[in-house]
Amino acid sequence: MHIITHACTQCGTVVSANELESNRVMKCPGLDCENVLRFTDLDESDQEHFLDNKASYEL
Amino acid sequence: MKGVLLSGGTGSRLRPITHTGPKQLVPVANKPVLEYAVEDLKEAGITEIGVILGHKGREEIQDLLGNGSDYGVEITYIVQGNPLGLAHAAGCAKDFVGDDDFVMYLGDNILKEGVVDLVESFESGDFGAGIALQEVDNPQQFGIADVDDQGNVTQLIEKPDEPPTNLALIGMYVFSPAVFDAIEKLEPSWRGELEITDAIQLLLEDGYAIDSHVVEGWWKDTGKPEDILEANQLVLEDKSLKKRGTIGDDATVDGRVELAESATIEDGAVVRGPVSIADGAVIKSGTYVGPYTAVGPDSTLEGVHIENSVVIGESNINTSGRIVDSLLGKGANIGSADDFLPEGRRLVVGENSQLKL
Ligand SMILES: [Zn+2]
Repeated sequence: MHIITHACTQCGTVVSANELESNRVMKCPGLDCENVLRFTDLDESDQEHFLDNKASYEL
Repeated sequence: MKGVLLSGGTGSRLRPITHTGPKQLVPVANKPVLEYAVEDLKEAGITEIGVILGHKGREEIQDLLGNGSDYGVEITYIVQGNPLGLAHAAGCAKDFVGDDDFVMYLGDNILKEGVVDLVESFESGDFGAGIALQEVDNPQQFGIADVDDQGNVTQLIEKPDEPPTNLALIGMYVFSPAVFDAIEKLEPSWRGELEITDAIQLLLEDGYAIDSHVVEGWWKDTGKPEDILEANQLVLEDKSLKKRGTIGDDATVDGRVELAESATIEDGAVVRGPVSIADGAVIKSGTYVGPYTAVGPDSTLEGVHIENSVVIGESNINTSGRIVDSLLGKGANIGSADDFLPEGRRLVVGENSQLKL
């Protein structure tokens, strides 16, 4: 499975694509980090891959 | 070498304790299970640790571990979200791990000998992965490894009917970055998860040597209440216990007892170790605290006889009853029904609680 993640540019906290997609826009879960993370921060090809295979990223 | 510490999961087998927090924070000998893992990694010289968070208890875990500086390590949080299996968790750590090797440690596991030997064994050769194994009596119920004379893994079999060995995989692994290519090729198993054993199997098929290390000391997966009690026994048995708190002149304290600085054993109380009593706890007159008990912070025990139990903390136990083999959640209070009519137990019990009266 192609596992897609995004690392916060401010604090390095890593967030998986399923988490980004289910929130769309979220406050970075890193400690004391105010950065905002978006599903659209992912590479376009990764966004597309995730959406095309969304079922396999859900339990 | 980096560390990847898995701290997700629902903790469903530890309900109701896990209704209010993640299973990795349940204390064993008054220390959250997860802290043992961080310390084991540190002991093996691993100071860069990625902590994988699921849906449950993220903030509590971050509150405990912080940025890792209290433990002399550097922590990066990795939010896995959906629990899609151990191999998915490992895959989420790819950017964190980079080109390094890494130890993957299940955060609800606890083992006597730590991971130093596992890491050394892996580093002594050119391996794609290293797995920790332990001899078990019931190999049919585990993932089992077949190994050759040199300890190289030749085959992994999940819950085999006819096990070739009794060497079960426990939740400790070392991986080279080659595992990420294997994970990329994986498909979810019948239970909808990316299985770490499938990833190791793929590494084998791709020609990588897989090291094995047989763990001699005890190992516990603390998924169930009875496992917590057993881990508590094992840790109290081994740990060096210090009395720093206050002990009344007429209190009786035998055996090895850990008494935190602000904990008190008052006159007329009897404590028989191995026992751990945390900060702010008070053991009052007429109380007996017996072997393999951990009394958590800010708990007060009066009149009770308690043995082989874990009181997580902030409990008030004021009864003449006997409590054995029990796990009491934070803030659980037990009083006496002696003076009440009609006679009988009075319970306010949360969902999924288990009582034996
Ligand atoms: Zn951040």
